Amino acid sequence: MRRFLWPLVALALVIAYPLLFTTPFQQRLGALILLYAIAASAWNIVGGYAGQVSVGHVVFFGCGAYAAMAAYAHFGLPPLVGIPGGIIISVAIAAVIGVPTLRLSGHYFSMATIAVAELVRLIVTNTDYLGAAVGLSGPTVPRTVFDLSFTSALPYYYLFLLVLLTTLGITWWMANSRMGFYLRAIRDSERAARSLGAPASRTKLYAFMLSAGLTSVAGALYAMMFGFVDPESGLGILISVKMLIMAALGGAGLLFGPLVGAAILVPLEEISNNLLGGKGAGLTFVVYGAIIVLIARFQPGGILTLINRLWAGRSKTPETTVAAGATHAP
Amino acid sequence: MSLILVQVIVGGLLLGAVYALFSSGLTLIWGMMNIVNFAHGDFVMLGMYVAFMVWTVLGVGPFVGAPVAALVLATLGIIVYFGLIRSVMKGPMLAQILGTFGLALLLRYSVFWGFGANFMTLPDNIVGGTFDVFGIRIQASRLLAGVVALLVTLGLHLLLTRTSLGSKMLAVAEDATAAQLMGIRPDTMQAIAWAIAAGATGIAGALIATFFYIAPTVGETLGIVAFVTVSLGGFGSVPGALVAGLLIGVIESVSAYEIGAIYKDIAVYSLFLCFLWFRPQGLMGKM
Amino acid sequence: MRLRHVLGLLCAAAISVALVGTASAQDKTVKIGGVYPLSGNAASAGAHGKAAIETAIDIINNAHPELGSLPLAKNAGLPGLGGAKVEVIFADNQGSPAVGQNQALRLITEEKVVALSGAYQSGITLTTSAISEKYGIPYVNGESVAANLTERGFKWFFRVTPVAADFAKIYLDFLKDMKAGGVKTDNVAIVHENTEYGTSVAGVIASVFKDNGLSIAQDIAYSANTTDVQSQVLQLKEKKPDVVIMVSYTSDAILYVKTMQSLDYKPPMLIADNSGFSDPSFIKAVGKIAQGVFNRSSWGVGPPGSTSFLINEMYKKKSGGDDLDDTSARQMQGFFVLCDAIDRAGSTEPDKIQAALKATDLKPDQLIMGYKGVKFDDKGQNILASGLVIQLQDGENYVPVWPKDRARTAPALPYKGW
Repeated sequence: MRRFLWPLVALALVIAYPLLFTTPFQQRLGALILLYAIAASAWNIVGGYAGQVSVGHVVFFGCGAYAAMAAYAHFGLPPLVGIPGGIIISVAIAAVIGVPTLRLSGHYFSMATIAVAELVRLIVTNTDYLGAAVGLSGPTVPRTVFDLSFTSALPYYYLFLLVLLTTLGITWWMANSRMGFYLRAIRDSERAARSLGAPASRTKLYAFMLSAGLTSVAGALYAMMFGFVDPESGLGILISVKMLIMAALGGAGLLFGPLVGAAILVPLEEISNNLLGGKGAGLTFVVYGAIIVLIARFQPGGILTLINRLWAGRSKTPETTVAAGATHAP
Repeated sequence: MSLILVQVIVGGLLLGAVYALFSSGLTLIWGMMNIVNFAHGDFVMLGMYVAFMVWTVLGVGPFVGAPVAALVLATLGIIVYFGLIRSVMKGPMLAQILGTFGLALLLRYSVFWGFGANFMTLPDNIVGGTFDVFGIRIQASRLLAGVVALLVTLGLHLLLTRTSLGSKMLAVAEDATAAQLMGIRPDTMQAIAWAIAAGATGIAGALIATFFYIAPTVGETLGIVAFVTVSLGGFGSVPGALVAGLLIGVIESVSAYEIGAIYKDIAVYSLFLCFLWFRPQGLMGKM
Repeated sequence: MRLRHVLGLLCAAAISVALVGTASAQDKTVKIGGVYPLSGNAASAGAHGKAAIETAIDIINNAHPELGSLPLAKNAGLPGLGGAKVEVIFADNQGSPAVGQNQALRLITEEKVVALSGAYQSGITLTTSAISEKYGIPYVNGESVAANLTERGFKWFFRVTPVAADFAKIYLDFLKDMKAGGVKTDNVAIVHENTEYGTSVAGVIASVFKDNGLSIAQDIAYSANTTDVQSQVLQLKEKKPDVVIMVSYTSDAILYVKTMQSLDYKPPMLIADNSGFSDPSFIKAVGKIAQGVFNRSSWGVGPPGSTSFLINEMYKKKSGGDDLDDTSARQMQGFFVLCDAIDRAGSTEPDKIQAALKATDLKPDQLIMGYKGVKFDDKGQNILASGLVIQLQDGENYVPVWPKDRARTAPALPYKGW
């Protein structure tokens, strides 16, 4: 029973956060942390657990965002309705990318994801149906609660929390299933795993498809919160990098790694922008970049591995973390 | 074939040579050390600013600017290697992306902080103007960059294949432990490789500054071109980067002219994806 | 399950959020928020805009009797609020609609600004003003030209600058005048970048031209921040249009002009739609090889001693020597309009400021820009905004050349280039 004490306390605090920190900005910050955590956790499935670094993951994010906005802009439906469509398209794209490239070494897969993401962005920028360069907007004034266009960040916070818990739940279930077992084996040594009969390419493909679908949900939620998507904000390469950085910073391949990463990076970005951004000297990014370099240099496994290591000394049972696999060279 | 089309193709070749020039450094370290360097575009940007400083302070053009940029960038490369790369090399690709991305931001915005956001250019005739060859206009600065691209490609290739330093570097790339057992120090070789690659990138930046605009954000635009060129050419193949660069340049130019500017990037990415599907090792890479 | 680290992250997040969430103290200043691109590709424009607004703050907060009938210049501070000073809290939108929106929210809810100004890029103005609309905070924009900004039925958004349709009309009338004077203007080509700015402006120009009997012969769209434009210039060189209209940001503008020189292409008439071609760094970099390019502007530096000249001198001190360009001047004008409204409202309450804005009726001699005045319609658009055509005749300075009654010298044709 003691094992569940800490988790429950943490969960209670997370649930209580917006009731303790009540300014709109703090609540919105919390919602944003959760939103990015959803995206980064989805990425984590293929990038951390399966060890396949996707640098073009934004294409799935954009699928979800555009599907949601298109549902409203073209059919007058609540953006929510677009989510299943976004998931289907994302999973299809993942299959198209994954089948040829997952059997090759990691670099090819990564480059393929960048190329596909940029290609989709260019095509969308020139497609009037999807708003071309101007983008698509959601409902400015919500018609029903299902439009999910709220003034306060509070409903978003709890909605995102729910989706995050679902995502983490799915990840946990996958990690403890046979698929997760195969993934760990593949990460340790793909050759050995294959020789023992693990269907390596197929497993990695499924992880990729799962990740793609969940990422598109994150994209749809983003579009609903901001009420707007355009090629830069929905399909820009910076978003892929952010997902990646948050997962890596927190600890790729660990269940809560992306959440830790998001909880550090999102406030960090905000604070540095608030304090330094107004001066216009770009110092925000100098600080941001320097911190990322330091973490990569001294703690490449992510902050979470550091925390785990510090706590491992104190707990009764030694940790056998999934992180062990994450620090292997490709 | 109309004169304009020839001009388009010539323009594409010159453009492609420039792509090859600033991609050669990237392919060298990617092939040798399996490092994905997200900060590559910003190294080019730094080379441009060094050339700009040389011009502002000494009043001379790229014939002095390029060697100075090579030295400055090579030094920076060594600092970056010992400061960051050596640690993240041992880690997964993810750590490398994380580290080099942070480095890119750091470099880009330090320059932004120091020089401001304004776009700068070097004077137009710093390397001579544009001349006419049978009705085809050729910019001297781009021609120079193209020639240097060939020289750098040749130089790096000869270095790797004909010198003992080169074979030591290749040995370390192939199997660092075995090389160590043979008395070669992997650390030194990798630092040298990194410094050479950075230096080559500095030269590229200094030359590009003679006909392109100089701004802190140039790294973003050029970085992704370098990645595609290197992947298409084959990771680690310097001649491959040259051929890939030329190919990309011509395809961009011709598709922009025949179909429309918007489609040139689509054409390049589509070509690239075809290669990934059917010949992932690129034009001249090894699997 | 590793939940101890969840606690750790919660602590980290809580501390950082608490740090972020401290509101600053209120005193006798009127706080206005300014969301601008202070980093990223548009940072040059953002930096110049910031300098322009800082100049405006100087004019308002200190006594400047030499600036004549410019409202709020004579005395120090805002007379309607007992001499209260104006303070602007700048925020960087980083070129992203999401960041812009977050910053707008922070300025409204944490810094408690009474109004917002910004955000340069039309797409970012779109999202940031959506926030101010939700919170009922006045938003005055001086520089974003996308048509849809005033088509949303917003009650708190006011735009001072002329819009794409106005500029299209200016170009149309200008070309008609030129044609009457014997210049060939039948084939018009538009070269535009394909993000929101270029697409919407080019689209509006094309439709306004079509409605008035002048059609677009060539429509060349290209991706912003491109590496090379040779093919596009060659397309122009081949088709030989009489007039080329360019809609670009600074980086591409520089590239185009350089490429035109290297390919030896001089269109008979080159018109630039502001933006990149107005940027001081464009003029410094390639002005000498772009002599004769036309541009649209509502701003011009007058003779020494005039209000605009004095303001330009003040601005140069803050901008590191650059002259005030049209875009930054429009930002400054928008800011003056906002402060004038706050002053007339005599209060910092949003409702009163909104009412004062609606009642704005500024006369030409009360403006720094060459508008016919400032008066908002019920969509929040300034219906008296106007502009004129300027030309970079010597490669260094733009001079007004059209319409005749506001021109300093006659237009020089054909395009000289270098």
